Amino acid sequence: MRPADLIQKPPWWPRFTSPLRSTAVTARLGRVLGIAFGICFVTGLLSHYQYQPWGWLPEPASPVWLYRVTQGTHVITGIACIPLILVKLWSVYPNLFRWPPVSSMRNGAERLSVFVLVSSSLLQVVTGFINILGWYPWPWSFVRVHHYLAYVVIGSVLLHIAVKLPDIKYGLGVKVADGDVLSEVSWSDNPHAHSNAGPVPPPPTPAISRRALLAATGVGVGVVVATTVGQTLTPLRPLNLLAPRDTGKGPQGLPVNRTALAAGVVESARSAGWSLEVVGPRPYRLSLAEVEELATSEASLPITCVEGWSLGAHWRGIPLLDVVRRAGGGHGSRVHFLSLQTRGAFGSSDIDGPQLSHALLATHLNGERLNIDHGYPLRLIAPNRAGVLNTKWLMKIVVR
Amino acid sequence: MARQRLATGAAGVLLGLYGVLRLVTENSLRDLLFIAVWMVAAVAIHDGVLSPAVLVVGRLLRAVPARARRWVQLVLVVGALVTIVALPLLHKQGSQPESKALLVNDYSDRLTVLLVVLAVVGLAGYAVQAARSTRPGPDSAHSPDDSRQP
Repeated sequence: MRPADLIQKPPWWPRFTSPLRSTAVTARLGRVLGIAFGICFVTGLLSHYQYQPWGWLPEPASPVWLYRVTQGTHVITGIACIPLILVKLWSVYPNLFRWPPVSSMRNGAERLSVFVLVSSSLLQVVTGFINILGWYPWPWSFVRVHHYLAYVVIGSVLLHIAVKLPDIKYGLGVKVADGDVLSEVSWSDNPHAHSNAGPVPPPPTPAISRRALLAATGVGVGVVVATTVGQTLTPLRPLNLLAPRDTGKGPQGLPVNRTALAAGVVESARSAGWSLEVVGPRPYRLSLAEVEELATSEASLPITCVEGWSLGAHWRGIPLLDVVRRAGGGHGSRVHFLSLQTRGAFGSSDIDGPQLSHALLATHLNGERLNIDHGYPLRLIAPNRAGVLNTKWLMKIVVR
Repeated sequence: MARQRLATGAAGVLLGLYGVLRLVTENSLRDLLFIAVWMVAAVAIHDGVLSPAVLVVGRLLRAVPARARRWVQLVLVVGALVTIVALPLLHKQGSQPESKALLVNDYSDRLTVLLVVLAVVGLAGYAVQAARSTRPGPDSAHSPDDSRQP
C-alpha cells in the first residue's frame, strides 16, 4: 500500500466533469505549442548569434532580409504562444488536483518538472511580450534571462514529451471526439478510462464540441497573429490593430528604437564642428562637408529590430569598404564603430566579413538627410543586421 | 520506443540544467530571487485566479440553453484569447516617445471593434443555425430539443 493511500481524499476536493477536456484535445494543442516553442528556440538562438557571432563564422550579408524573417518569426510565434499556452493549460488543469498530490518519488519529480515547465514557459512568453512594449517591470537583464531561460523551457518541454509519450500517442491516435475525458483522476485509478474499460463511447458534448473548441483556439490565435504580423510583413499592415509598432510612422516613415534625446546626443550630433575620426594604419578625419560629398552610393536595406518589427528603407551614403581601404584596411578587416551616444546600451558595434563589404555609412534615408533620431549626421546600415548594431550618430571608426 | 524516450528525456534534463546553471552563475542573488518570485507568481496567478475564473464562467453558462451556449462559448474563447494579448497594449499605450512609433494607438477602441465584430459573427452564426433548425429536415444531433439522445 502506498503511504498516501492512508489519507482519504477530502469530500470538498474539486471534481472535473467537462467532456471538453481530453488527452485527445491536449495532445493536439501540445503538438502545435511544442512546434511553436521549437521555432522560438531556434530563431532566438539565431538572434543571439547576431550579437555574438563566432570569429570564424561571421553573419552573412545575403539575403539582406534574413534576420527580418527569423526575428519576425520569433516574435510572432512567441505572441501566438500566449493564447496557445493558456488553452493548453486549461485543458490539463484537472491534473493539478490529482489525489494524492504526490504518490511516489517518481510522481513528485514529474510534478516538479511540470512546475518548472509551466512557470518557465509562462515567464518566457509573458516577459517576451512585455519587453517588445518597451516595458521592463523587472530588475534583471532581459536578454540574459530570456536567453538562458529558453534552455530551461526547451529542456523541460523535451522531458515532458518523454514522460507523456504514452498519453501523446493515445491522444494523437484517437479521434478528437472519441478521447477519454481528462479529469482529476488518473487513467490507472479511473475505471472508465480506455486503459481499464477498453474503447469507451465518445462523451456527449451538448454545447461547444471539442472540435469547435480547437477551432475557436485556432481563430483566437489567428486573430492575434493577423492583427500583429503587419509590423513585420508590410503587406498586412492594414490589419495591424494590435501590433505594438506602427512601422509606417516615425521620422521619415520609419520608427526608431532609441531617440537622440534618450541617447544624449541632441547637441553633439548637430555640432558644426563634427567630424568622423577614422583610426587605422593610415588614420584620417572626414569633415561633415567631405562626408556629404562622398555619399553617393545607394542601397535598399531593411531596419530590423530585435523586438520583431522591421521595414524596408532606401539609404544613401558612403560604402564602408571605401572608408576602410583609405585607412589601410580591406575585406578582411574588422571595424569597430563608436557613437556619440552617452546614455544606454549599444553605443558601439563591430562588423566584419560579408556585412563589412556591403555596408553603407548612411547620410540619407528615404531621399532626405537623416533625421537626428535616425542617427544624423552619419550612421551605419548593413544588410541582414540587427537594428541596434547599425550604430547611429557615428563619431569614430577603428579599422583593425 | 523506450530508448528514444530515455534519450529525449535525458537531452531535456541536460538542456534544462545548462540553462539553470547559466542563470544561476550569471545573475545576482537578488535577480535570481526576483526571477523565482515571478515564476511562482505566474503559476499562482494562472492556477489560482485565471483558471478558477474560467471555471466560474463555464459554470454560469450552464444556465444558457445548449444551442445558444455553443455560440456564447465560441465567442468567449476567441474574445478572451484576443483580449489577454491586448491588455498589456492598453495598459502601456501612449507611454513612449513619438518617434518610436510604439504604442501610439488607442488600443481600447481597436479591441472594442474586434470584440464587437466577433460578437456579431457569433450572433449571426447562432441566428443561421436557429433558422435552419426550425425548418423541417434532419436536425443537428446535439440540439437541446433533441430527445433522441441514447
